[in-house]
Amino acid sequence: MNDDNNLSATLAAATCALLGASAAGPVMAGETDRWSFDTALLYYAESDDRVQDVSATIGAQRAFEDDRLLNLTLTADTLTGASASGAIASDLPQTFTSPSGRAVYSTPAGETPLDDTFLDTRFALNASWTQPLARLYTVSAGLGFSTEYDYTHLGANVSLARDFNKRNTTVSAGLAYSQDDIDPVGGAPVPLSQMLDVGDGSNKLSSDSKDVLDVLLGLTQVLSRNTVLRVNYSYSQSSGYLNDPYKILSVVDGTTGDTILRTPAPGVAGPTGIYLYESRPDSRAKHSLYAEVKHAFGAPVLYGSYRFMTDDWGIDSHTGEVRLRWPVGDASYVEPQLRYYMQSQADFYHPSLVQGAALPAYASADFRLGEFDAVTVGLKFGHRTSGGNEWNARLEYYQQNGSISRDQLIGNQFAREQYPDLKAVIAQFGYRFGL
Amino acid sequence: MKALSLLAACLALQGCASVGVEPWQRDVLARPEMSLDANPIDAAIDDHIYFSKEASSGGRGFGGGGCGCN
Repeated sequence: MNDDNNLSATLAAATCALLGASAAGPVMAGETDRWSFDTALLYYAESDDRVQDVSATIGAQRAFEDDRLLNLTLTADTLTGASASGAIASDLPQTFTSPSGRAVYSTPAGETPLDDTFLDTRFALNASWTQPLARLYTVSAGLGFSTEYDYTHLGANVSLARDFNKRNTTVSAGLAYSQDDIDPVGGAPVPLSQMLDVGDGSNKLSSDSKDVLDVLLGLTQVLSRNTVLRVNYSYSQSSGYLNDPYKILSVVDGTTGDTILRTPAPGVAGPTGIYLYESRPDSRAKHSLYAEVKHAFGAPVLYGSYRFMTDDWGIDSHTGEVRLRWPVGDASYVEPQLRYYMQSQADFYHPSLVQGAALPAYASADFRLGEFDAVTVGLKFGHRTSGGNEWNARLEYYQQNGSISRDQLIGNQFAREQYPDLKAVIAQFGYRFGL
Repeated sequence: MKALSLLAACLALQGCASVGVEPWQRDVLARPEMSLDANPIDAAIDDHIYFSKEASSGGRGFGGGGCGCN
């Protein structure tokens, strides 16, 4: 009971500090029986009134005797804005039935259709416990839970690490399992079924689920007095419902590439074109190889990482990231950050489907399964206060540039912008303190 | 194949034995910013953003929280 009160008081203090209401005591790194907090407020905004996200995260860590450590992370997200539906632009205005099946939304001629009914609030809680198991072994176990309007996630993970070579080498192995329930607004559409008029839910099923198994093998190696390297191999197996229930594909004429028009039933609102709900395979296996290195050049620290990912959906991706933490004076630092990402398209990525042609088993026009590259440039600034706490601010710009191979475009589609670039600004403010 | 992987792992570990530092040479590595997990909140935020916008995820560790955004 007393502990609960302490926890409540601590969380309340964390909330106040996050809002800038009070300054707490100094961080005592490594000191036992103390809480330390790492908090962040995030604002993410895409151009053209697309997705906006405001989120708050509180990470709390408590060190106990004998190197035992408790970690708690609580996140609240609020998402608003519009998201690309997967339908292609048209020379005519287009009308779509909203995911709920109870209303319609329209897209002006020449514009990429965006579903502006997107609105969600998400809460996530993660807890983990780490402790030595024997002189050279460390075990860690965690639980994760998150909930949003149409989605619930429950996960557990465990990992074991062993040190070798005067603790210069650490080998680790971990396992994670999660079970996610998806309960889409208006029901989960039957894959490749046609978008219907308002009020007709005959192609919508109830909720669905997926489970994900992750295996992670890691090696951390001290290379020199000022260089450390980490290499991870991970395998991830997802099975179950892997569709995005809100994504559709336009059905087009095989010569002109224009969307096939349809007329809603008399007296009812509904789609003005033929659109099919996407269909993805019900399993996905991913392999990733990740390497990161940190090197101190005197006071400045350089971080570099690279990840290669390949999966059985035909997607390969490469991600590279570089950051340089540069001290300014005794108490501050600036950190320029650069990230580059590129991916190939999924085998079943189709910008549109041709009327009359045999339907493929799997098809998606989700831009995230297409071919694109992305760049993030950013700058972080941090300052340590006289009390030993740290505040920091990060500003980043993210841009995706997509491309659709010419053999996937038809007729008039060449003249239209089919893959609008995504641009986003990410602003983050953080505060670290101890109690 | 399994034996070969095991052999490779052993050799790699053997190779690792010749690199590294003595316990009293850990002054630089002990600096908080040299920790590979120095900014867990930044890492979690980045992972979540990129997970929702790209077809790849993970690599660094286990993703936390799940999301209906992908």
